[in-house]
Amino acid sequence: MTTIATDVTDHHLIAQFKEGSMEAMEAIVDRYENRIFIFGLKMCGQLQDAEDITQDTFLNAFKYLNSFREETKLKNWLFKIAATACIRKRRKKKCEPDRELSLESFMNKDGAFETYDIPDWSDDPSNKVLQAEMKAVIGNAIKTLPHKYKLVFNLRDIEGFSTKETADILEISIESVKTRLHRARMALREKISHAYQEGKSV
Amino acid sequence: MKEDCKKNFERISEYLDGELGPDDCQQIEQHLEECPECRDCFDALKKTIDLCKKSAREEIPEDMRERLRSKLKDCFGNH
Repeated sequence: MTTIATDVTDHHLIAQFKEGSMEAMEAIVDRYENRIFIFGLKMCGQLQDAEDITQDTFLNAFKYLNSFREETKLKNWLFKIAATACIRKRRKKKCEPDRELSLESFMNKDGAFETYDIPDWSDDPSNKVLQAEMKAVIGNAIKTLPHKYKLVFNLRDIEGFSTKETADILEISIESVKTRLHRARMALREKISHAYQEGKSV
Repeated sequence: MKEDCKKNFERISEYLDGELGPDDCQQIEQHLEECPECRDCFDALKKTIDLCKKSAREEIPEDMRERLRSKLKDCFGNH
């Protein structure tokens, strides 16, 4: 068995948890609850669903943490549990099968040249209204992506996992990660740009 | 879409992610310099990713934090 380089703090917290420390459990939650919550929110689009995903993830994680052998990083393991929770939730809701996104549909047709006007994110704290509007547009654009593309996009671009890590978390090939990510990004470019144009013309 | 642009379009994400070899990168960079349409597509894609990343700085609401902790305490209080 090869143990991969894990985060030192996580390594200590896992060891303390295995010795029965409640503080270690709380510290693990402190470290990852925001990320898992955001992931759940971006995947499902509803606060209640995001809360369910967050609870399911940590409940399952601590149920099995005693037998976790750190063959993967704790963060990756938690996101694998969270991704499984999202997939289970979707099955429960009996959603329609995933649409495929074709790359051709995002290509400019012969002769036609569409420009994509994407706004910049404003970090100005006095711009709270604008930030909230932008968040809503972006959240909605991500929410409407087909599930399997959304999973890859959120893990790669929002959470910053590498292509290989994302492939491992979702148990799919590296090629599938690349294909889905590219199409998801193209779809988002189109959705956000269109929403922004509509907003500007109102 | 021209054949060159199509080739560029298909690999632009891999280029952005630094997942292409030096020859492919050079080809793409040269094409982006010569083709304003693909340059526009590339810039919009980069901005889209940046925007999505920056919009994801959120925190779990306080009431949810509390419910999560109390649930964990109930389940693992004597672990």
